[in-house]
Amino acid sequence: MKKSNAYISAALLALGLSACTKLDEKPYSEIISDQFYNNKQEVLSAVLRPFTHAGAWAAPTGQTGYWRLQELSADQLAWPQKGKHGYDGGNWIRLHNHTWIANEDNAWNPWRLMYWGLGFCNNTIKDLTPLDFGKIGMTEAEKTTLLAETRVVRAWHYLKLMDLYGNIPIETEVSSDASPATKSRKEVFEFIEKEIKENVDQLQPLSGELVGRATKAAAYSMLVELYLNAEEWTGTARWDDCITYCNKIINGEGGSLSGAVPALEPNILNAFANNHNISPEDLFQLTYDLRAGNSRFGWQGDFWHYRQRQIDDADVDGNNGIVVIPSAYDAFKDNDLRKTTWMLIGPQKKAMALRQNIGDSLVLGTEEYNNKPLVFVKEIRRNSEGETGAGGMTRGEENSGARFAKYRQGSQADPNYWGNDFVLYRLTEIYFNKAEALMRKNGKIATQDAVDLINACRIRAFKAEDWPAEAYTTTSLTMDELLAERGREFIFEGKRRSDLIRFGKFTTDSWWDHQASADKYKLFPIPFKQTSINPNLVQNPGY
Amino acid sequence: MHKRSTFWARTCFASMVLMLFSLFAFSQGKTISGKVTDANDHTAIPGVSIQVKGTSVGTITKADGSFSIQAPENATLIFSFVGYLPQEVAAATTPMNVKLAASVKSLQDVVVVGYGTQKRNEITTSVATVKAENFNQGGSRSPMDLIQGKVAGLSVTRTQGNNPNSGASIQIRGISSVSGDMSPLIVIDGIPGGNLDLLQQDDIATFDVLKDGSAAAIYGTRGNNGVILITTKKGKAGDPQYTYSTYVQREAIAKRPSILGAADYIKVAGANNNQGADVDMYDLLLNKDNLSQYHNFAASGGTANSNYRASLYYNDANGIALQNGRTQYGGRVNVNQTGLQGMLTMQFNLAGNFNKANLNGGNSGGGDNKAGNAGADFEQAVQRNPTAPIIGADGKYIETNGFNNYNPLARLQQELYDRDQKTYSGDARITLEPIRDLKFSAFGAIVRDEYTDRQYKKKDSRSSLLNYQGGGYAYKANSAALDKTFEATVDYTKTVNSDHTFNVLGGYSYQYSTLEKYAMDNNGFLTDAFEDWNIGAGNALNDPKLPRPTQSSNKIDNTLIAFFGRINYNYKQKYMLQAILRHEGSSRFGANNKWGNFPAVSAGWVISKEAFMQDITVINNLKLRAGYGVTGNQGIPSYQSLLTLGTGGAYLQYGKWIQTYGPNKNPNPDLRWEKKKEFNAGIDFSLLQNRIGGSVDIYSRRTKDLLFNYTAQLPSNILDNIFTNVGEISNNGVEVVINTVPVKTKDFTWNSDLTFNSQRNKMVSFSNQIYKATEQFYGDLPSPGNLGSAIRVVEGGPLGTFFGYRYAGLTDDGKWQFYKKDGSIGGTSDMNPNDKAVIGNGIPKYMASWNNTFRYKNFDLSLFFRGKFGFDILNLQDMYFGNKKWSPNNMLSSAIGKNAKLNDDPQFSDYYLEKGDFVKLDNITLGYNFQLKTKYVRNLRVYASGRNIATITKYSGLDPELQDTALDSGIDGRGFYPRTRSYTIGLNLGF
Repeated sequence: MKKSNAYISAALLALGLSACTKLDEKPYSEIISDQFYNNKQEVLSAVLRPFTHAGAWAAPTGQTGYWRLQELSADQLAWPQKGKHGYDGGNWIRLHNHTWIANEDNAWNPWRLMYWGLGFCNNTIKDLTPLDFGKIGMTEAEKTTLLAETRVVRAWHYLKLMDLYGNIPIETEVSSDASPATKSRKEVFEFIEKEIKENVDQLQPLSGELVGRATKAAAYSMLVELYLNAEEWTGTARWDDCITYCNKIINGEGGSLSGAVPALEPNILNAFANNHNISPEDLFQLTYDLRAGNSRFGWQGDFWHYRQRQIDDADVDGNNGIVVIPSAYDAFKDNDLRKTTWMLIGPQKKAMALRQNIGDSLVLGTEEYNNKPLVFVKEIRRNSEGETGAGGMTRGEENSGARFAKYRQGSQADPNYWGNDFVLYRLTEIYFNKAEALMRKNGKIATQDAVDLINACRIRAFKAEDWPAEAYTTTSLTMDELLAERGREFIFEGKRRSDLIRFGKFTTDSWWDHQASADKYKLFPIPFKQTSINPNLVQNPGY
Repeated sequence: MHKRSTFWARTCFASMVLMLFSLFAFSQGKTISGKVTDANDHTAIPGVSIQVKGTSVGTITKADGSFSIQAPENATLIFSFVGYLPQEVAAATTPMNVKLAASVKSLQDVVVVGYGTQKRNEITTSVATVKAENFNQGGSRSPMDLIQGKVAGLSVTRTQGNNPNSGASIQIRGISSVSGDMSPLIVIDGIPGGNLDLLQQDDIATFDVLKDGSAAAIYGTRGNNGVILITTKKGKAGDPQYTYSTYVQREAIAKRPSILGAADYIKVAGANNNQGADVDMYDLLLNKDNLSQYHNFAASGGTANSNYRASLYYNDANGIALQNGRTQYGGRVNVNQTGLQGMLTMQFNLAGNFNKANLNGGNSGGGDNKAGNAGADFEQAVQRNPTAPIIGADGKYIETNGFNNYNPLARLQQELYDRDQKTYSGDARITLEPIRDLKFSAFGAIVRDEYTDRQYKKKDSRSSLLNYQGGGYAYKANSAALDKTFEATVDYTKTVNSDHTFNVLGGYSYQYSTLEKYAMDNNGFLTDAFEDWNIGAGNALNDPKLPRPTQSSNKIDNTLIAFFGRINYNYKQKYMLQAILRHEGSSRFGANNKWGNFPAVSAGWVISKEAFMQDITVINNLKLRAGYGVTGNQGIPSYQSLLTLGTGGAYLQYGKWIQTYGPNKNPNPDLRWEKKKEFNAGIDFSLLQNRIGGSVDIYSRRTKDLLFNYTAQLPSNILDNIFTNVGEISNNGVEVVINTVPVKTKDFTWNSDLTFNSQRNKMVSFSNQIYKATEQFYGDLPSPGNLGSAIRVVEGGPLGTFFGYRYAGLTDDGKWQFYKKDGSIGGTSDMNPNDKAVIGNGIPKYMASWNNTFRYKNFDLSLFFRGKFGFDILNLQDMYFGNKKWSPNNMLSSAIGKNAKLNDDPQFSDYYLEKGDFVKLDNITLGYNFQLKTKYVRNLRVYASGRNIATITKYSGLDPELQDTALDSGIDGRGFYPRTRSYTIGLNLGF
């Protein structure tokens, strides 16, 4: 067939009519890959692509990814069915009850999003390695740093994938017909450790200019998390290595966004504020800015009520999804500032700017409380139908559950309106991790150092007059108390499931209407969509 | 080469000798003269061939139908002309008045088959023809309405009722692709991919539908779904003529949803939701006084060598909904000329259509209004609290507070959405015939379709207050599509020994299409006075606290090149053979596979011409035909085979926000055509003096290399899907057409036509060695509740299968119970995806239509029935709105009727699947032909027509006729656009 084409083309060429058989495509509105990478800005645009993508799986922005699996399967947050809303094919009910299967979206979508981000990293390494940086006005040192940063970001993807699925394939090339084989969790652990350690020294230390990037601080934080969970993930404890890297961060070797060393914020809202970029507590974050960058960390879809814009004078509403489980709400003491500041409960009032007259101060509901005041309550049960008792995942109403208020976007008049970044690692977590490592090394008994570390963080959660009674001592800080305090400190941050697993509670404890499940649920199943087309993948045990 | 020159020399010499003889013969005859007219309308027929029987003496009639010929005494003259029964008349000395009668379903009819025509009796493929006199009567919103139900295997479905701003979905012989084009190629006067907006019902002469692969292969890569060839009326020789057609039409409600009134609503939703009024919002959205009108004025005339036809039209169409109209006008000109001693023919067409459509109402997609599914105006009207007044004491519209609610009447007043569209096409064809039966032809065409949309939302509209801080919103968008076509063909016919006829066609085709779009919007206006005509005045351009204005632009193009050839052979018009090959390339495919070959072969045998059949006088015509053809499908987006980078959102880069870029698809350089191989066998028959005729076709088709987005291996691809060729679909079916004339007397005729088709489709395979999928899901159910997908297709199974829970009754307090996989019964929270099962199928297995035309003297009455059978419908309207839990929104009456015991949230199961089988009386037309004895008026016909008059079905929803041409067939969405009957009165005047 090609021969006849050649003859025809030759004949027409002879007649000067070669255009008669030309079928090349010329995209007008898209870039073809081999016409890219012409200058520094384009190179950086490709390097940063995995970061803009990470918001989809690492943060609660509306898709099922790492964050949803980590929180909705644990004991603090849930997405209950609220009347005709929220059944969603039973997805959230199965996550809550640990009854998920391999052939469902909860298993597939996080895998899809995370390997996609990882694919961007592999593609960038593939494209940049042979590129002559001198020709485009950049230096070899810049090339080394950018490739190192991409490898570390890739290792971070593997860290999170391994956290969820355990035994996964390791792929460092982009190809269309390879069938990569499953590697054991231990092998993946070693790969991650090697990748980060080989590249961390070529990274820059964190500075204000490098906000949102994977710097030394970020790499050290990843190693801290890796070593903290080493016993659970590989069977071999690595507490000392964990402490080593915690110290590197604490003494400033990893850099800081402002000042010489990272420091804890004096209050509990600053690390998540909308004035971004300058918190000394944040170590690694995804940057967003609604006004300057037309991109926002969009938590409203998952967390906000249908009329929530009236509460804050915002420009969007939500899908009334994820709320705090009653037992988790009760785990906070009433004088804990985190309970009153990070969560929203009670009658909801309209923002001043939106009140039409004196009597118009209350936000009204739209479903079970249609035209009645909207009052968020702790219980998840059909109060409007007179139900009593503990409630349950299918018993919710539009006002059920305490609500998310950890990130505050400001009002629309605020120049930094919705400028919040999503924080991945912060200094508080490093303090907690170091304290835990110290305690575990010490036969699971608190040392004074550990107590001091936790107290340094916890002090921000209480008023000065309450603090003396709430400070921990080496006797009051037990492992269970440490787990509970971790829950209170890191609620909404996407870390709870890993913590419960490490403390041995994820599949054996019950909370609210969740009963103990089975051992296999410590890992998510490899999605059926991949096991059915890649014969070299091995399903996790029990699925 | 040598042979040809002697052949020519011999022919010339022979003809000279013959001419001398004939002159000699003439000199011994008489002059016979007269006039030939049409037996029916008495018009003169120019160009009629008159031959003195037994000689080669002949002539043709002049433009006024008169003739003059030398013939010996007692000679017989043979009169013949295309479309008429030939007559032999004894020569007379007095002027002869010969009346030729049109042949009924004549085998001499000419059928358009693409790049040429064929006589009906020589067709070996499956082609159906519908002529203007057989079109559906009454006002039509789109040209395809004219042949709805007339062609077996062709399904034309209007899913939005009689909405003037909605189209029809068209399909031939079922679904044969999953992501490529699923509708047939439309060719208008030889322009492939012509635009239906340029056609007016009175300008169309015929539809020829190429149904099977062996017919459509000549169109190669676009022939997978069949080809519909539309021919417009052309100029012809004769007296100058005028035609004027007009009609007025009104839509009246046939069925609307039955919703609770105020009293019943309060019983369900509670007294605290009672706001005191009693409003039927649905009724208020209807434009009961709607009236549509149509005028078409045409002029034609000319001589046999040079003629023209020009037409102008105006149409003001209004639907049953408010702000749901379309005004259009335009025209068409056709000029034909033959010159240069009959060797050079030129045909030239120019057409234009200008229309303004109001897309604000009628679920047409205006503003927040998405056609067909959740959230549109009519759905709001169904669910609005009937006790809520429309306007409050302060004169402002009242918005109810429920989830996703808005006041549709208010929205219609506060927003606007217009489309201003212009479509043009121009084409020219030049044919050179230097030697008889050898034609060189060049054809060029340009079609341009351009529209501008404008939207404005007033400052005090709900949308503006909610999303734009009360600053109003303006939007403008433009889209321009341009198609350029060039084709060159060579056509040669040769008859050898008067028994063997060959026709050879060869050609080249080049088509280039491009689509350009741009759009912009702004908000933050000081006043509504500008609407969208001063878009820069919006303050959002300057004020960062207002939502960002957006701008976008986009361009895509593609090229299609082909070389094609066709050979036709027939022996004594008894045995026929046809072979086609098209070698075509498209820019859309991967570098490795841009070209493909599409061959076809077909054969026919006219059994009735055999000697052994001559005694069987019952059978007038019996033809057997069989064909096999390969066609392609290139209806996918452009640029799929390239590795392209797309945007990912901005990120902070050293203090500045810069856009990020990454691969946005897995490239596939091996991307190639879908290929459909089809085998078709058919019988055409005609019995009892043509009183019974028809055809039966059986077909079997297989589409291979199905283009589809497959789940790719992830890792090591970057994205989770790849657009590639895997998989196979098969379709099989039978088509039957029977035309009968049960009664035929002098004054009364009864014609009865029946078409029937059956279709079975199967997803043969989804996989090959590399890509595997065992199942695919379609028909995602809308929010709230996100109940999943309704349709699942498995390898080896049929398309359109509903897959869900099986209903097992209700508990005493009205909660759902479903069967689990092992047969036990569980509630909603006990179910998981493994408990779903096959519960029905949404694609009709059979379709039939029956048309009866009665003629009594000058009256005619036609009754047209249509039906589809063997399918289920998922009644989403009942599932969400027929449920008390939809409260505090309003509900359908089934919530307290059929579903009264239910006290649980909406769930998808076979409880909501109903049988969709239906029969519709789709058209009654009564007409009268005036027989005026004046020379000022040639003909005058007056008619009254009703469409969609009655529907017989068990389905409880609005209309069982749903979209059934795509993979999510059979789902009755939540659009709630009312079903209407159309009443039309019109007249056709020729003078």
